[in-house]
Amino acid sequence: MTGTAARVLVVEDTPTQAQLARAFLAGLGHQVEIVESAGAALVAARDWNPDAILLDIDLPDYNGFELMQRLGAEGIRTSVIVVTANASINTAVEAMRAGAVDFIVKPYAKARLAVTLANVLEKQALVAQLATVKARLDREQFFGFIGASVPMQAAYRTIESVAASKASVFITGESGTGKELAAEAVHRASPRAGRNFVALNCGAIPRDLLESEVFGHVRGAFTGASADREGAAKLADGGTLFLDEIGEMPLEMQVKLLRFVQTGTYSPVGSSRVERVDVRFVCATNRDPMLEVQAGRFREDLYYRLYVVPVELPPLRARGEDVLMIARHFLIQFAREEKRGFTGYSAVAEQALAQYSWPGNVRQLQNVVRNIVVLHDGDRVEHDMIPQTVRRGAASFPDERPIAERPIAERPIAERRAVDRPVFDADAPQAAPRLVRPDAAPEEEGTEVVPLAVMERRLILAALRQTGQDVPRAAALLEINPSTVYRKLQNWRAEGLLPAG
Amino acid sequence: MSDRGFAAQLAEDLSPQDLRHVLAVFRTDVERLTGTLTQALQAADEARFRRAAHGLAGAAGAVGADDLEQACRRAMTGAHPMPGAMLEIDASAQVALGDLAAFINRLDAAT
Repeated sequence: MTGTAARVLVVEDTPTQAQLARAFLAGLGHQVEIVESAGAALVAARDWNPDAILLDIDLPDYNGFELMQRLGAEGIRTSVIVVTANASINTAVEAMRAGAVDFIVKPYAKARLAVTLANVLEKQALVAQLATVKARLDREQFFGFIGASVPMQAAYRTIESVAASKASVFITGESGTGKELAAEAVHRASPRAGRNFVALNCGAIPRDLLESEVFGHVRGAFTGASADREGAAKLADGGTLFLDEIGEMPLEMQVKLLRFVQTGTYSPVGSSRVERVDVRFVCATNRDPMLEVQAGRFREDLYYRLYVVPVELPPLRARGEDVLMIARHFLIQFAREEKRGFTGYSAVAEQALAQYSWPGNVRQLQNVVRNIVVLHDGDRVEHDMIPQTVRRGAASFPDERPIAERPIAERPIAERRAVDRPVFDADAPQAAPRLVRPDAAPEEEGTEVVPLAVMERRLILAALRQTGQDVPRAAALLEINPSTVYRKLQNWRAEGLLPAG
Repeated sequence: MSDRGFAAQLAEDLSPQDLRHVLAVFRTDVERLTGTLTQALQAADEARFRRAAHGLAGAAGAVGADDLEQACRRAMTGAHPMPGAMLEIDASAQVALGDLAAFINRLDAAT
């Protein structure tokens, strides 16, 4: 506010004084409104939202002290400068006690008013800046994220800092930590927010389709290419292209991506036409990208092109109080969606949630809360409503060893890349990731005919595997309600078809 | 602003246009408030009398009409009976209006 025009409300019932104040303030470049009574001042403070009030104490309806009380009661935090003809210390003390930030004794010169007002406005600006900085440091929400822990504040700051540039962002973190949310946050906080955010999961697309998904294809480029089709690169022109699970990208595709990243140009599959686009790259992986480079699975030159600004998302077990903050958020959200009465957790239930190590991170917590809401009802979540897996896990001490030092079987699910099995489907065979196309024709040959219930179970478990045990996403793929998935899982456990918990 | 003469500080702080405007408002205030004081005196309404004296003191103080301001402040304390206070305010108001006219004449001559 300092140095810029402020809105100053003058509360003064003597016209000479009021016009003098107006002349001084207008000469200082401020906007001025004049009212002659305390009642009118209250209305103007509400409606005009002044930055400061120049307040005479003796007013025809009620005095300036009472006006300050009423302003405070209404939550109006405007800075009040009391103007009084009584220069006694008592009046000054009384004015400050009532909430004034300073006082001026009548008659006053323009210079005195200018200094007093400048000080008040500068203090007000500093308070506002402090509140902004404090809000940034203590944020409990950031775009789609919920959490106020120190490592999340660091992630928020990095995302915010990098958003304005075109620099490539490389997001790392265990499965379920919110890598796609982080990518979306980079996009939404950037000047590209008005254009497309295009997400591509490199691990979920068959390798022979990946090039076409990224660069598009022309009609006849390959069997089934019946028409020209734009790829993610074109769709993301002017916006952001998010390449999730970049570590899963085949090496031959990495060469093509490198050329695209370097030049901003590409050719659709089956075409020699060169297209140029303006794309900001955001990549993510749950592996250590440098280890992938050293193992020869990821090109070093591509790594250095993409790994410009790293954003590391902490696992949920490292986020302290965030666990309960997120659990409460999901509880309210799911209770509303499922028409349940839950408003909170019992202390014991919260303790169990807080003590569990959450190997599946936020996604697992989300699923657990959804599970509780779908299967139970009440005012608060009790300890026995929490799935056994969590209760059992919470009862034992958390494993403080670094993940890399633990035996494979004791690592979080997300880390067991070779044995990536769901919690409730330990014996199911592993299916390769598949691209699910809603419009794909059903297989007519080679389809094993089994009882419908068996096929249903296989499909649901396959969808859960493909989505990393994300029940809402699996349900979306299957075009059924998430509640149905939870109920099926509970029934299968009860029937002994799945492990308990 | 005291001890420097009528409107001396205002002449330093305000543009000629603003100065003329404030002094015109002051003249109106003096005429209106002395009228209110007279009515209050006739009605023996001491509260109204003090309130009008308060307003006139503020207006006089703002333009450097020190004698008028002091006369009004004495009236506000209630130390003197209203008729005597009114006579003192009236006399000071006439002097202040005379000072105002002389000041405006000087201002006109200078521009």
